[in-house]
Amino acid sequence: MADEETTNETQVKESAEEKPSEDSIIGRASATERDPNSAEKFAFWLRPDFRVNPFDIVGAEHLEESHTYGLVTNIRHMTDSASHLSNYISNDFGEMLSEPNTPRQGTNVAEVAVLSNDKDIYMPIQSESKVKFADEGGIHKALGIDSMREKEKREHRVVRVPAGVIRMSNGAEAVAYLDVDYVLGPEAAHVNVSGISGLATKTSYIIFLIQSILQTLDASKIATILLNVKYDDLLNIHEPRSLDPEEHEFWERLGLKAEPFPKDKVHYLLPWGKNTQTTGRPNIFGDPPFPSTTYAYSLKETADKLDLIFSQVPDPWDTIGSLLGEVMNGIQNNESRFKNIITWDDLLSKPPLMEQGIPQQVGQVRASSVGRFVRLLRRVVKTRQSGIFVPQLSTKMTRLDRAIADIKGGHTYVIDIAKLKPDEQTLVFGDVLRTIYGLYSGESGVDENEELPEKVIIFVDELNKYAPASTRGQETPILDQVLDIAERGRSFGVVLFSAQQFLSAVHPRVVGNAASKILGRTDSAEINEGPYRFIDREVRGHLTQLNKGELILSHPIYRQPVKIMFPRPPFQQGRARM
Amino acid sequence: MPKPFASLAPALEVLASEGRVLPATGQAIIDLAADDPEEAYDRAISETRSVEGIWETQRTLYHPVKAIPRSENHLLRYFQDGSTRTYFIGTVLEHERSSPVQISQVGAAAVQREENGCLRVVRPVRHILLLLLDKSALSEVLWTKLEQAVAGIPKCTLRSTSEDDPFGQGIREKRSKGAHKANWAMREEEIALARDDLAGRSKDEWLVIDGGLGNEYLDWPRAPLIGVAKSFQRDMQFKIGSGPREQTLNLYGLLAGLDEGHRTAVFPRWAGESREGKIVFWYVRIRPQRGLDYPLMGVVKVEMPNPAREALDSDFVDMISGAVTAERCVTPHGRDSRWHAHLYPISIAERVIKDQFYSEEILKAAIRWPKVKLP
Repeated sequence: MADEETTNETQVKESAEEKPSEDSIIGRASATERDPNSAEKFAFWLRPDFRVNPFDIVGAEHLEESHTYGLVTNIRHMTDSASHLSNYISNDFGEMLSEPNTPRQGTNVAEVAVLSNDKDIYMPIQSESKVKFADEGGIHKALGIDSMREKEKREHRVVRVPAGVIRMSNGAEAVAYLDVDYVLGPEAAHVNVSGISGLATKTSYIIFLIQSILQTLDASKIATILLNVKYDDLLNIHEPRSLDPEEHEFWERLGLKAEPFPKDKVHYLLPWGKNTQTTGRPNIFGDPPFPSTTYAYSLKETADKLDLIFSQVPDPWDTIGSLLGEVMNGIQNNESRFKNIITWDDLLSKPPLMEQGIPQQVGQVRASSVGRFVRLLRRVVKTRQSGIFVPQLSTKMTRLDRAIADIKGGHTYVIDIAKLKPDEQTLVFGDVLRTIYGLYSGESGVDENEELPEKVIIFVDELNKYAPASTRGQETPILDQVLDIAERGRSFGVVLFSAQQFLSAVHPRVVGNAASKILGRTDSAEINEGPYRFIDREVRGHLTQLNKGELILSHPIYRQPVKIMFPRPPFQQGRARM
Repeated sequence: MPKPFASLAPALEVLASEGRVLPATGQAIIDLAADDPEEAYDRAISETRSVEGIWETQRTLYHPVKAIPRSENHLLRYFQDGSTRTYFIGTVLEHERSSPVQISQVGAAAVQREENGCLRVVRPVRHILLLLLDKSALSEVLWTKLEQAVAGIPKCTLRSTSEDDPFGQGIREKRSKGAHKANWAMREEEIALARDDLAGRSKDEWLVIDGGLGNEYLDWPRAPLIGVAKSFQRDMQFKIGSGPREQTLNLYGLLAGLDEGHRTAVFPRWAGESREGKIVFWYVRIRPQRGLDYPLMGVVKVEMPNPAREALDSDFVDMISGAVTAERCVTPHGRDSRWHAHLYPISIAERVIKDQFYSEEILKAAIRWPKVKLP
């Protein structure tokens, strides 16, 4: 009776002393008639005293002494019971509640999506192949990170950007790196974060990633524009936060410094408010950071972006579009009929649009349509405005487009729009995109010799507001602007980092162009929407179970998304202080 | 990976060259034993249909039994079973004589139950291959050559279906005989397993054998064991008491009065013979009739060697019966039609063996007759 083998796997040995060392076999591959292994997936049964979790990375011994690495996508417990009824009957027709004499035979079977083979052998994993947890080197091979290292050596430049830590059930850790060519271009670009993870997780991750990029690459060649959309979350990114030793270690583990953004390289651009004139406080949540600049919009300086104000207005017959053309051209070209139009009030009450309170026909646009235009514009710039629309810019105010046009490498520009009305937020975001796109595409006529940073990262939350999935067949000016950046930005060096709760709420062309997608906890109805089809169905299910601070990272280099963790920000987050 | 059944090629060569072979239509066909082998075996080893007397200290017909779970007294530690799968692969012709050619995969396995209920397979699992032919229908030349060819094949045995054994008596159909012959070989493997491979058990580690106990267990000197039969001879007569209080019951009558949580009295096998009582048996209702289709369902027959031929202590029998009753959970319901009387660890031992067998698909694909000249 010497050589014996455990067949009952339902009973788990608890003793830690019995656990073999880390590199021990955790199970063997299993291929059956009904559930064969393939080039893309395999299954293995788990030894009774071992556990794995979804997103663990394992390595299986394969042909020619190679190793195939794979991502655990699901774990099933199976028994030899034919049905639930059999289990009921097995328990004395439901009356036996004590432990049975012999526990039913069962095992845990893990399903694995193949990531890579270290000798490029993609034959299916053979049944009975030994399976182990991957170590850090194995994880890097599995994800293709080792090829990034080779690329670094070959091209003598930094390619890998730390994007978080992969932490597995057995305690093994590995840094997940992104290939910078797929984050900032030229191969691919853009990062999008989704999820309902709660308090600033999405924003925190994006800011972490930006810090990682700035610390890893040559920061002087990269400028960052952050739009603060909630409270004062990003209005203190230059102020350090005290971190406990574990948090410091986490940053060090990633090869990064737990430091806030350098104070001398952060610029806060805050909106003018209705009371700013009297109180001196910009229209923001919390106290204004110092130093900061206040921006506002007067008619003259807004003339070339008036269309952005009307982005949310349905215009099926393009009447507003036509009138906008007339007005924008008239003001910008100083046409005689617009010579008396200086302020917003002028535009809303004087000819050519209005005379003695009555709408006038302008060009081919009928008076009734002009009336509608005026009503809509008045609502935005007068009756429901936050204070950002001013008659004339004072010396305390700045033009946002001018401030952005002065963009410098290594500097970070935080533009607060948290307290602005939706139409105003659209205007500001559109203004930023249009200005940057103009600078980099050459449309604005910037001298090519003028020094612009090689890359500009623009981060905006709630992207679905500006690039919604459902446009009813209309492409609004702001959507055009976002699509320009999403589809052509990477060739100029303009990269969009974006976030929203629901990926399905964002325009598919924007989602499709985001090479790296990060998903936080997502509700079950959402994960069945089309944009999530890039993830295996098995993996998708786990999105509903992610904890705070856990994210799923999909990157073009990785064959499967991985679960990562990232450190808390090293700077003050506004709401944390409230 | 070596090709399965490749080792049989020399034997098949002999058959094809010395006789004329008609391959089975559609290659191999599975052959089943004509009767329930377990019931047939019980009939064969019991020999007599009549049982007389009670062989235990308390002389009542029915005894209450309290289930004794493993946590209370882990008496039953080893469980063994055998299995066989027989295939008809063709007919060999010599002049007007013919014999079916059958191949049988035969095995026996045991599992050991640990303190926590986990099962471990006792290694090695016994597994042999039988080549079955009717020797009486073949020439001596062919048989001798066949014996020589098989002698070189590891773990392969040539058996004649015309040689009688207690198990196959009365069966005339040659292919059924082959299937029963394979079952007999399986019993031999089981006995060897209990006798040799499980010899190291202590006296507190009981072995449960699937089915009744044969003559081989008459004077069993080794560690304790019981046989647990799911199906058994049904035409038994039980004479109980003597004089005016004597009563005779058939099996149905006996078991109709056997309530849940009870066992019958202990009876001797081979009443009236010198070996009477060397094996004793009794019936235990391990499962209530509620939810079962038939009164005999949920009852197992427990057999035990009793070399001393002494009446058993009723408390001792109650203890064994209690341990057997506690085996009723869990069950192989849905996997085996005999689930109501099947002990789960035995079903696992059965699965261990069957997992060693090649499937019918592999057998069909792997066994190839050499080129045959048709008449």
